[in-house]
Amino acid sequence: MATDTQANGPNRIISMVLVAPSLLMIALLFLYPLGFSVVSAFAESGSWGLANFYKAYQFYSRDILFTIVIVLISTALVGLFAIAIGGYLTLGENPRAVAILRWLYRWPLFIPFIVSAQLMRTFLAKNGMMNNVLIELGLLDQLQSVSFLDWRGIVVTFVWKQTPFVALLVAGAMASLDRTTIEAARNLGASRLRILIEIIIPQIATTLMVGLILTYVVIMSVLSVPLMINAQSPTMLTVDMAFRINSYGDYGVANALGIISYLITGIVAWFYLRQGLDNGGSPK
Amino acid sequence: MKYLTIPLALAGAISLNVQVTAAETILNVASGGSENMVQYVTDYLGPMFEKQNPGVKVRVIGTGPGDAGTQKIIEKLEAQKNAGKKTWDIDVAVGNQQKTAELVNMGLLKSYRAKISTGSLATRDTSKMALGVNVDGYVMPMFHSQTAIAYNSDLVATPPGSYDELRAWALKNPKAFGYNGIKNGMSGVSFVVGWMYAYAGDAAKLQNGPYDENTKGNWDGALSNLKAFNENITFTPGNAGTLDMLNRGEIAMGPVWVDMFYSWQADGRIPPNLKLKLISPGMPGQPYYYSIPAKAANSDLAMKFIELATSPKVQAEGIVNRFNWYPGIDARHVEKSLDPMVWKKLFTDVTPDELAENGKPFPIAPYFSDIKEAYELKVSN
Repeated sequence: MATDTQANGPNRIISMVLVAPSLLMIALLFLYPLGFSVVSAFAESGSWGLANFYKAYQFYSRDILFTIVIVLISTALVGLFAIAIGGYLTLGENPRAVAILRWLYRWPLFIPFIVSAQLMRTFLAKNGMMNNVLIELGLLDQLQSVSFLDWRGIVVTFVWKQTPFVALLVAGAMASLDRTTIEAARNLGASRLRILIEIIIPQIATTLMVGLILTYVVIMSVLSVPLMINAQSPTMLTVDMAFRINSYGDYGVANALGIISYLITGIVAWFYLRQGLDNGGSPK
Repeated sequence: MKYLTIPLALAGAISLNVQVTAAETILNVASGGSENMVQYVTDYLGPMFEKQNPGVKVRVIGTGPGDAGTQKIIEKLEAQKNAGKKTWDIDVAVGNQQKTAELVNMGLLKSYRAKISTGSLATRDTSKMALGVNVDGYVMPMFHSQTAIAYNSDLVATPPGSYDELRAWALKNPKAFGYNGIKNGMSGVSFVVGWMYAYAGDAAKLQNGPYDENTKGNWDGALSNLKAFNENITFTPGNAGTLDMLNRGEIAMGPVWVDMFYSWQADGRIPPNLKLKLISPGMPGQPYYYSIPAKAANSDLAMKFIELATSPKVQAEGIVNRFNWYPGIDARHVEKSLDPMVWKKLFTDVTPDELAENGKPFPIAPYFSDIKEAYELKVSN
């Protein structure tokens, strides 16, 4: 009721004015370039058509599939690890281990993607630090060592970098839960794993989803990680877009690939918004 | 009185500011090359030029390596042109061959070579033609660079001398050869171009034209062989990635840039047992060009800068001795200003004869794009 009168009342003009700067920023820095890239994707020497999309499909169909698979695997693993970390922080019984984990898990949050990629590039290589340590420990034979600088390297880097972000959100949500439900379950003899899965996760599902959706969108947009870690084909769409522009000066196909990326993220955005509507209004 | 001091102080500050800017002309050099090319100006050429021209400050902007770096220069100049600016804020552009040729075609550069005293010292055909585009007058080569096959001499006693021998070797030694595909740096692109020169038929036509869009129809054999070859090798992450993997002993052989190879070896980043071989029928190399945008704010100063940069002394000391590139101007003028030992070092693994025989240019622009697209379509997809 109160919102209705505000929306129609004399304050409306003032609120419009207040919103205008950010609206203008979005229009200038997002909507205008978006429109521009849509036009460029469909335009071809004076007429309209789908040639750019056809070429994008013809050249990069495998990369489109590869991108979707990598993003899904990474997001799923991020979710799993974030729940594990958040769960231990909430339910862990060894205060020292909880304190150490709380202190440690946020570190990757402050490291940029390109630095993570550079770290992983020397860490995951065939004769890199990880394999060398394993060989020194006698856990691995020199001849068995393999390089992880392929799709696995990309997934490892994304998961390592993005888990703290989601874990931070999830742990926060878990900490603010009403602990009586947890105590009640514990009194009735539920194991910690069962409490996590049946009591805690359902209550923080919305926060988890928001974290994962943001992770999904961020991973879609990263260029440095696939560029530096994965030398092989197939590769991710961002690399193809950069290559179309830098190597051929071809903005048409690059923008078509961009639109395909928009669609891939658009599906997730749709879920996000729909879920918000179900919850009665704005997505959280 | 009290109220006067603030405006006075402000006015003083402003006039001081003006004085400082007037005393210092800034020469903007945009370098579309790797980190070492930026260092070359910040650490060596820039300070030398500033010393000779008091009141001038050289500011370098590194726009990144490969096509992407020079593409950024193109976009900046094009934007300033379209915005109708009277002067553009890049004075000297350092760009690669293909993209500098595009700059010439777009009319964004100034013809200056005849106006500088070192202009006549650049005698290689690269100072007149760049991948089939006439760039005569618009460019001075900064240096020439070359790709070759680097190999670990402890593991490979007799390196392959040709693409045929390399294929046979790679078949016998699975995963021991490594290159970086075509999306991760030019050394991989070079390897692919060399492959096409060897197996796609008329290499001279690819290098000199004329362009015929049906030519690419004859490449299927060469490309499917390359696809089969790729099954048996290791992919590396980038130009530096190949050298890193050679260094860690993960691969025994791979294509590299000669200058990068020597610089890394001098720094101890790769071991001395790595050697180079320029295989037949040839691998491409390229110059980097100095050019001046058509409406550069300080074009006279820019010409002076390029004159210094292409003088025999600087080419000998800076380009050959410090950075291990092949000179941009005629080598005969450079050799005179150089210690014979340094000259010999540059040609230890690749002799001048081999360089003349197997050092090839990149293909003309339309064929170059066709080769890259054909690789994407038929080899990597």
